[in-house]
Amino acid sequence: MNVLIVEDEKSLAKEISSFLTRENFLVEVAHTGREASEKIAVNLYDFVLLDLGLPDYNGLDLIKEAKKVNPEASFIIITARGAVEDKVKGLDLGADDYLAKPFALVELLSRINAVARRKFKVPDNDIQLGEFTVKINSRRLFCKGAGVDLTKKEFDLLLYLVLNHDKVLTRQQLYEHIWGNILDDQYDSNFIDVHIKNLRKKLNAHAPSPWLETVRGVGYRVTTGEN
Amino acid sequence: MRLKVKLALFNLLSKLAVAALLLLFMPLITERLNLRQIDNELVEKREEIISMISRVGIEPFLEPEADSSFGSYNILKEEFISLEYAAPGTEINQINVERRLIDDEIIDYRVLSYSLTIDGKTYILEVGKSLARVRQTGRNIINIVVLFLVIVIVVTFVSDYQFTRLTLKPLYRITAKLENISSPDNFDSTRINTSTYDFRELDSSITGLMERIKGSFEKEREITYNISHELMTPLSVLRSRLENILLSGVKDPETEIKITESLKTLQRLQSLVNSLLLIARIESRQFLKEDSFPVNEILDQIMEEIKPLAEDRKIEIESSLKDNRTLERVNRSLIFSMLYNVVNNSLKNTGEGGKIRIETMSDSQNRLILTISDNGKGMDREQVSNLFMRFRNRNRNSGDGTGIGMAITKTIADFHNIQISAESEPGRGTKIIFIFF
Repeated sequence: MNVLIVEDEKSLAKEISSFLTRENFLVEVAHTGREASEKIAVNLYDFVLLDLGLPDYNGLDLIKEAKKVNPEASFIIITARGAVEDKVKGLDLGADDYLAKPFALVELLSRINAVARRKFKVPDNDIQLGEFTVKINSRRLFCKGAGVDLTKKEFDLLLYLVLNHDKVLTRQQLYEHIWGNILDDQYDSNFIDVHIKNLRKKLNAHAPSPWLETVRGVGYRVTTGEN
Repeated sequence: MRLKVKLALFNLLSKLAVAALLLLFMPLITERLNLRQIDNELVEKREEIISMISRVGIEPFLEPEADSSFGSYNILKEEFISLEYAAPGTEINQINVERRLIDDEIIDYRVLSYSLTIDGKTYILEVGKSLARVRQTGRNIINIVVLFLVIVIVVTFVSDYQFTRLTLKPLYRITAKLENISSPDNFDSTRINTSTYDFRELDSSITGLMERIKGSFEKEREITYNISHELMTPLSVLRSRLENILLSGVKDPETEIKITESLKTLQRLQSLVNSLLLIARIESRQFLKEDSFPVNEILDQIMEEIKPLAEDRKIEIESSLKDNRTLERVNRSLIFSMLYNVVNNSLKNTGEGGKIRIETMSDSQNRLILTISDNGKGMDREQVSNLFMRFRNRNRNSGDGTGIGMAITKTIADFHNIQISAESEPGRGTKIIFIFF
């Protein structure tokens, strides 16, 4: 998939770009609105990551322009926090999602994937983990044909780890994904540990779950053995 | 006591005092005036009689028989004249009040006694006038005056009261403007319409002061907002860079842990900046208050969120929700944060086997009272007084907090006009009380 990163902060653009490249995206970067506008006119992008705070261009105008050329393009708006108005306007204008700075790179990836799944109507793909099967679209977990009863948070946590399999996710990344970040100050690493503990208890009641690993001092990881 | 009542009372009292003085001295004055009037009349009568005697001689006035004295009363015993012989050489000229018994009736008379010598004989002439009538007239006058005074006092009291009420109205409007605001931001700066110079000055100086305070608040917020905003980009760069290193696979576990630790530190910085930004945004009213929902809904949600953690720490959460009224025109996610912060704070400061109690009820003024209490380690007086201040409330327990959570709670409460207070005792636990609207 082709991604255009429109971000005036060069070092941030570089980090996002190297991350997405590693995730097998074809990435281009524009540091100014004009540059972005030129690129959009010539190339077809699947995704545009757009920082609304461009010095030379109104980011929202850029969305309008791009939609004219390529109505299929998906937009994820990146903005400094607090621009609630911008969020609403952006979504009105056909942006597909919105991410506040500073965000986790894995969160960005999962947003891109979620938009892609929505857009391309990916059939319910099951993910096999040992004796467990995760059904992504119907949001259910099965073990040897029997449903495993999880709370919404436990399932969200599991799914996030599964979709980012073979990557270590820190407690903060997990926390932000599940709770968003309005409760920033109340961030408590115990939250994640408690939920993982409960999740493990439920999993182990059905079958062993060695694929859900604790990486000491770092976080948690789901290993599928694919990498 | 309100100013208009004070003024009215003072007015009333001073009028009553004047009236009382008047009523006290009036009988004396009228008596005096009456007597003088009567004395003049008596002297006139005396002169009349003397001129009659000099015209016709004394004989017609003296009755031939008896004690040779002349006395004449008019039928109503109003007046009398008498002429008697007196010892030679008697000289008398006086006016007195005398009590006379006439036909079994005691009557006070003002009596003029005058000695005159005619043809070598000495007589005493007495002219008298009853005081009963004039006294009666005096009393009547006083009654009329009392009635008049009562009417005057009532009428002027009512009109005074109305006048001060109207005059003071702008003053009350100014105080009402000040009473109804929780911060200079919602001060109504429309000028008050009044012809009283002093109130106009007062109003304009208060308004001016408020504008200046508002301005400096605004500036402070803007600075906080801009600084926080500007910090986001470098934070974002650092975070992405560290995450990238971690994700690209670090071979050395020790380095991996160090990078994770750096990310945690960065997270604290991020959450601090976010909290400051949140407060600045609430204070500059960037949040809408458009949600309405029953209070139990949000409390259930909070208890649901906190349950796994409480169970893990063997802390019991009990609730007694007696008032499930609908909160109107609030910001749901802010109200959630406000209450969640408090519950989470309780959780952090309560040991294993502790208890957190969430209670709602309505008070006598039909306000919603929401309390969140725990039997945790509590706080001393100084900690309680610093509880809602930014950075003063360093979390005593966990390294995760930035010490700003309760300040956020307070800011959100202020934004919604919710009163918040804390009661705590070391070793006994803490109770946070919210009073809604």
